[in-house]
Amino acid sequence: MSRRLRLGTALVGALVVVAIFAPALAPYDPIAQLDLMDGRNLPPSGAHPLGTDLYSRDLLSRVLHGARVSLTIATIAVVLSITLGTVVGLTAGLTGGWVDAALMRAVDAGLAIPRIFLLLAVLALWEGISVLALVLVLGLTGWFGTSRLVRAEVQSVRGRDFIAAACAAGVGPLRLVLRHVLPNTAAPIIVSATLGVGYVILVEAGLSYLGMGVPPPLPSWGNIIRDGHPFLVLAPWISAAGGGAVVLTVMAFTVLGDGLQEWLDPRRA
Amino acid sequence: MSALLQVRHLTTTFDTAAGVARAVDDVSFDLHERETLALVGESGCGKSVTALSLLRLVEPPGQIVHGSSIRFGGRELLTLPPEDLRQVRGAGIAIVFQEPGTSLNPVLTVGLQITETIHAHERVPKREARERAVELLRLVGIADAPQRMRSYPHELSGGMRQRVMIAIALSCRPKVLIADEPTTALDVTVQAQILELLAELRDRFAMAMLLITHNLGIAAGIADRIAVMYAGRIVETAPTGALFREPLHPYTAGLLRAAPRLDGPARPVAASPGSVPPATAWPPACRFHPRCPYAWDRCRTDEPSLLDGGPAREARCWLVAEPLRRKA
Repeated sequence: MSRRLRLGTALVGALVVVAIFAPALAPYDPIAQLDLMDGRNLPPSGAHPLGTDLYSRDLLSRVLHGARVSLTIATIAVVLSITLGTVVGLTAGLTGGWVDAALMRAVDAGLAIPRIFLLLAVLALWEGISVLALVLVLGLTGWFGTSRLVRAEVQSVRGRDFIAAACAAGVGPLRLVLRHVLPNTAAPIIVSATLGVGYVILVEAGLSYLGMGVPPPLPSWGNIIRDGHPFLVLAPWISAAGGGAVVLTVMAFTVLGDGLQEWLDPRRA
Repeated sequence: MSALLQVRHLTTTFDTAAGVARAVDDVSFDLHERETLALVGESGCGKSVTALSLLRLVEPPGQIVHGSSIRFGGRELLTLPPEDLRQVRGAGIAIVFQEPGTSLNPVLTVGLQITETIHAHERVPKREARERAVELLRLVGIADAPQRMRSYPHELSGGMRQRVMIAIALSCRPKVLIADEPTTALDVTVQAQILELLAELRDRFAMAMLLITHNLGIAAGIADRIAVMYAGRIVETAPTGALFREPLHPYTAGLLRAAPRLDGPARPVAASPGSVPPATAWPPACRFHPRCPYAWDRCRTDEPSLLDGGPAREARCWLVAEPLRRKA
């Protein structure tokens, strides 16, 4: 295990722990308006380590609870998109011919539209965004790249000798795919999933910042940044709290993804 | 007595950018029960494609041409439905490939790859399949068989991997074992052990064997009968002893001269001039005539069929019809 992988694992592990135990770790209720008279936009202090926002909510508590929201959304969205991408990539790579051509042209079309615009368009049409809708939309727009990756990997694996050997031994087609082809494509899928989580967190933060993501008052890092936007000069700590969390998390997943890549496949690192 | 495996007019072509390659062209042979037939020839003459064709393992753009026939135990394999074909693969006819390094799945344990084959053909409890796999590993000469079940392919040496491949091939007691250059990728010392093992297991399991090799020495040690292939065709078949005593086809004679011998007086090793032509452009008439020292007009205009050359012998050469020219 490389240092990078250890660092990535530790950081992501810490984030997961924070997300799970957020209610216990947070000093205040993340949506409680503590003191609307004198407690608004307070700078970091002993009582509020990250300060408070416009509604006198404790930012540390909001960031901790935001980890829950952001990580959950990102994880479910990535599981959805990786599953879709794997199924499509596997189908395209194994069948070939016109099925492959049709699927890959559809993927090209999907990739040609910048994801953030695609998301904005879909979410704008969707009245009263729920978190579930957000997860679905993030998941359904994130599988194009994965499907290409899986297809390429499947094509290289299926030409390898052990596939022919297993086939010659009478191993059935379904088992051939699930036991022989798929596990040999697992490494890039895992790496892509890890990097995907970081990316989806970034996208979700962007959407929430634009007011099209997680609906307030539920805390997400994106809408914390948004809350701080009018006060960037007077109370920069508000946006910094959300932004810092995003930066740290995306970095953690990137480091983990790179570390996993090295570990799973030393040749390609 | 009808043969266990009857191959008739087998033709396998590949559509390539350079044209249609007739990699295997009208090949016919019989394999009888408990018989070992060696298919011998240079690289590119169609031996391996023949082996793959027998189990319909040729991948597109390769295809077996209509009119070919492969009968195994009375059943036509070329029209067999997929599920029946799957049952023949492994349980009727098993194959050991050339590269033990790449023929095992790197992410699955050895034990799983053996039991998987057993489960693919028989409904047996997991425990029983496991016991059979351990027994097979012992049989192919792997020490610490129960521990080795948990090994991954990269933890084994080349020779060990080939032993595992043989164990997989034998796991469902096939009637025919195809060994496609089974020792080419191995060290010389290991080669001899693997060949010995194959011969021993062939007798023990009463299997017929189709041995594919470019090495006449290997064929001599293990085969009852040898079929020599050149340019997609069988050019000579003969019982092993007869073939070595008196090769009928000049190509066979060339192969024999090219093999160094340990017995008899020392002599220079001679190779036939030139090399196998590309499969998209086999020479017209007799395909060997551009490299043949005896070639005359007839060889350039007419292709001989397999001519009767004595007891159980055939050769695709006009010299069989006009033996006097051999002296000239």
